[in-house]
Amino acid sequence: MSSDPLKLVLYVAGQTPKSLAAIKNLRQICETHLNGKYAVEVIDLREHPHLAREHNIVAIPTLVRQLPVPIRKIIGDLSDSEKVLVHLRMGDSE
Amino acid sequence: MTSDVNTDLRRRLEEAEETLRAIREGEIDALVIRRAQSDEVFTLEGGDSYRSFMEAMTLGAAALDASLKLLYANKALCEILDCSSEQLHSGGLFAALDAQSGRILAALAEAAVAGQCTAEIHVVGEGRDRHLLASAAPLRLGLTSGVAITFTDLTERVRATAAEAAEKASRAVIASANEAMVVCDGAGTITHANPAAEEIRDQALVGRGFEEAFPLMFADGIAFRSAADLLALAAEGQSVRGVEAALKDAPKVKDVLISAAPLVMGGESSKGVVVTLIDLSERKAAERQQQLLMGELDHRVRNTLALVLSISTLTGYNAKTVEDFQRAFVGRIEALAATHTLLAGKAWSGLSIEDVVIAELAPYVSRDAGRLDISGLKVTVAPQAAVALGLVFHELVTNAVKYGALSVQEGRIRIEGRPSAGGRTLEIVWTESGGPPVLPPTRLGFGRTVITKSLAYSDGGADIRFEPSGVVCSIRVPNVELGTADPTP
Repeated sequence: MSSDPLKLVLYVAGQTPKSLAAIKNLRQICETHLNGKYAVEVIDLREHPHLAREHNIVAIPTLVRQLPVPIRKIIGDLSDSEKVLVHLRMGDSE
Repeated sequence: MTSDVNTDLRRRLEEAEETLRAIREGEIDALVIRRAQSDEVFTLEGGDSYRSFMEAMTLGAAALDASLKLLYANKALCEILDCSSEQLHSGGLFAALDAQSGRILAALAEAAVAGQCTAEIHVVGEGRDRHLLASAAPLRLGLTSGVAITFTDLTERVRATAAEAAEKASRAVIASANEAMVVCDGAGTITHANPAAEEIRDQALVGRGFEEAFPLMFADGIAFRSAADLLALAAEGQSVRGVEAALKDAPKVKDVLISAAPLVMGGESSKGVVVTLIDLSERKAAERQQQLLMGELDHRVRNTLALVLSISTLTGYNAKTVEDFQRAFVGRIEALAATHTLLAGKAWSGLSIEDVVIAELAPYVSRDAGRLDISGLKVTVAPQAAVALGLVFHELVTNAVKYGALSVQEGRIRIEGRPSAGGRTLEIVWTESGGPPVLPPTRLGFGRTVITKSLAYSDGGADIRFEPSGVVCSIRVPNVELGTADPTP
């Protein structure tokens, strides 16, 4: 995996159960596996629905790996931490 | 370009499949519905929430109950299948497809009860064939179960993949062709050129204007005057086959045989022009050589006929009887023929003086008989001088047979070639010995005329002396008629 820090954007919809689960799961993954090399932005689309267009978000919650490119999307509540880590690490040498 | 389209389509397909998986597995609980003015976030609550979600999808999607009866089909699917939601509900999903695709989809839905599976089907909608990837998976609907099927339109991807393969194949075909091939777009710019084409101009061609890269000149009487005319004609759909043209300022190839045809792709009208060029340089050079040879042959035939006429006239003038005439005339024509045979055998070049001498003397005396001593004659000679020398040696040898060294057993002849004192000619000295005593002839016959006049130009000529010990003839061949020393032994 590249040593460049990850830039992650998590899109949620207010306090829905899956949104809360995604925030909790992401925090846990970051603290356990990413050694502080990350920056997370949480966007509440219920408050700012127009921000969905930037990453063409359809389903919520969705985590977007903005950096390194290429952009990757992980849809769902991030409960499968192994799968999330695989997605965060894949393709960053493309 | 097509691979970018493919990558994008692949990414979008993966994303859509991931979205569907997340829905099926209950990992999401809200979605963004895109409106013309602004987007809206919709939270999935209640038993029919899947419908709202399906409507938000750009993929075609259908939900079936456990008995595979259609519960819901979204708008995107209706568009793909080119029918209304009501038509789908009254006729059923499988009946909306052709018989084969209907069977495939029914089998897929049945199998999906046990787990996710996919199949490709074809449908005809909006007036064109579509390739769809149908993906079916079990679906929980409240307390009951059913099957969710999504339809991903692969038409563009299939087309892009086919176009990519076709592009690769056509590039390979062009690159492998022996003939020079270039492809031009509608504006006359070269978009493809194979190595054979670049060899003609000795430079890279792609991106250059065809007319500038190939400044063609056509012969009078051809319908077009320039490369631009040729391209315009082909672009209009008219094939041009095998027209000869010359290339201005060409580094290597000067003459080409050119053909042009409209480039038609996928049944659409002409998008450009395919031009093939065949190098005619060698053929043109061979044609010029042939013209030259025909002119030369014509010239030689005229000369030979004039010579035969002159031999006939002068032989007749000197002959006392018809038999005398016949014998002398035939002998002289045979001498002429012998030299011609030698010249023809060596394609009128590279004949040595020694070859001529041996051919002319052969009917009378063999070189192996020990009566001939030849030296310094391994020098090539021009055809015209070879003919003259043939006649001179014929006269000398027939004289020697009748009156000189070859009229007795003991007689010998030495023929020696060496550069003359001034160095401007090759001097060949014919010296007879061992023959009967020689007396100068009382009159000047044709033979002596031939000997003394045949080479009498540009320092050439011959002198004949009738020494008592034998005839001595000194022949001077101008250097201009001589080539290099003959390398053959």
